[in-house]
Amino acid sequence: MDVIERYLEAVAAQLSTEDREDIVAELRDLILSRVEAREEELGRALSDEEKEAILHEIGHPLVVAARYRKGPDSLIGPELFPYWLFGAKAGLIVIAAVQALGLLVHVLGDPANFGQSIGQAFNGFFAGALTLLGALTLAGAIMEHYDIKPTWLTKWRVRDLSAFGLADPAKWGASMGASDKAKAEWLPKGVKVWGVRAETTGAAQALWSFIASAVFILWWIGVIRFTGIGDFALRGGDVSVTAAPIWSLLFGLILAWAVAGMAVDGVTLWRPEARRLQALLKIPVAAAGLWIGWRLFQAGHWATLTQGDQTAQVMGASPIHMDFDAIHAIPEAQRGLAETALTLGTVLSWVLAIIMLCLAVDILKALWRIATTRD
Amino acid sequence: MDKELFETMRLELRRGSLVLAVLACLRTERYGYTLRQALAADGLEMEESTLYPLLRRLEGQGLLTSEWREEEKRKKRFYVLSPGGEAMLAALTDEWRGINASLDRML
Repeated sequence: MDVIERYLEAVAAQLSTEDREDIVAELRDLILSRVEAREEELGRALSDEEKEAILHEIGHPLVVAARYRKGPDSLIGPELFPYWLFGAKAGLIVIAAVQALGLLVHVLGDPANFGQSIGQAFNGFFAGALTLLGALTLAGAIMEHYDIKPTWLTKWRVRDLSAFGLADPAKWGASMGASDKAKAEWLPKGVKVWGVRAETTGAAQALWSFIASAVFILWWIGVIRFTGIGDFALRGGDVSVTAAPIWSLLFGLILAWAVAGMAVDGVTLWRPEARRLQALLKIPVAAAGLWIGWRLFQAGHWATLTQGDQTAQVMGASPIHMDFDAIHAIPEAQRGLAETALTLGTVLSWVLAIIMLCLAVDILKALWRIATTRD
Repeated sequence: MDKELFETMRLELRRGSLVLAVLACLRTERYGYTLRQALAADGLEMEESTLYPLLRRLEGQGLLTSEWREEEKRKKRFYVLSPGGEAMLAALTDEWRGINASLDRML
């Protein structure tokens, strides 16, 4: 079989049976016409390489056959693609949020298995993301193939469009903690985020913060207990956690700080319009939080793990000496008591450093609000 | 000037006019190979992998008719405008001239 017939056979295999003979006959005529024209030009028969060069110009058999295919050229066409993209973005954000929440719960409940929890969260995210993208693509391809146009695609109403204003997660996220002016700019009027209107997200944040602070205070004074925080199991037996002396030293201060935070949240809930007052109150509370954080870093020793007759100290790293290599080392860490203490120290150091960074940002935001807001 | 961007825009600009060119060329009966040569002679090069499927699509839309005939010892498929194709060509020509006139005023 010569190169031309082999080429045509490859094209024919991609075509539907009803059109195959017709299309292949026409292509054969085209190719032979081009070969003959070239042979006439050169005054001799073409070699297989020269024929192959002509076939290359005509195109790969898959591409040539695809041009004859009836129906859509792409899985998701340009009309449907914006909807697919929006669905993919929104879905990925939701999956990421769910996995982040799951990770937080795992880490709080079983801090020693931080590396494993991270791995599970990533695994969950990628599995969920692939399933979502696959399902969206399949749904889109079916709609494209059968030319299905749901009414939400053709008969949309302007009043139903507000949720699409939240397509950009960066704007959405920024608007949650930004000024009223920014919220007015970024969040469409009347849009609800987790059931809360844009205009009231400040109050909603304060409510969540108030509840979280209340739970923390109840735990701090020993009214409620969380299993897994004071003791957990490790290879080799149960491990108990004993707080370092620094916590006794700072007990009253931390309690006062949490109560003061609740009070600020209370003011925000009570007088949501008093932005300047809220900012003024937030500054000393955040500054106290920074000072407590700094004292904790200075103390270094945060807890002691005891397993049988073995002990290991959970030490906070100095913020100056913290590096990403320590985080990278967590998944590889052995499951011994000393390694667990080291992992806990690294994780808690980073958590504390991030909290302190947030507090510093809070102070800057409050100062900015005082400078730009008039009650 | 970004040559790659220019090439993309040039192809976009040409794409819409190819159907009109093919319909215009097929006022006279032709088979694929000679049609491509006629288009190239008038300055509109077109890849075979684009032209042949386009011919089948236009025939499917009722704008062309075709028949297999033997010529130069080989069977070839000849295409020509159908009556519907002639009406479409006239309408598209008016449209093209209108666009051309508008662009001429702007450019």
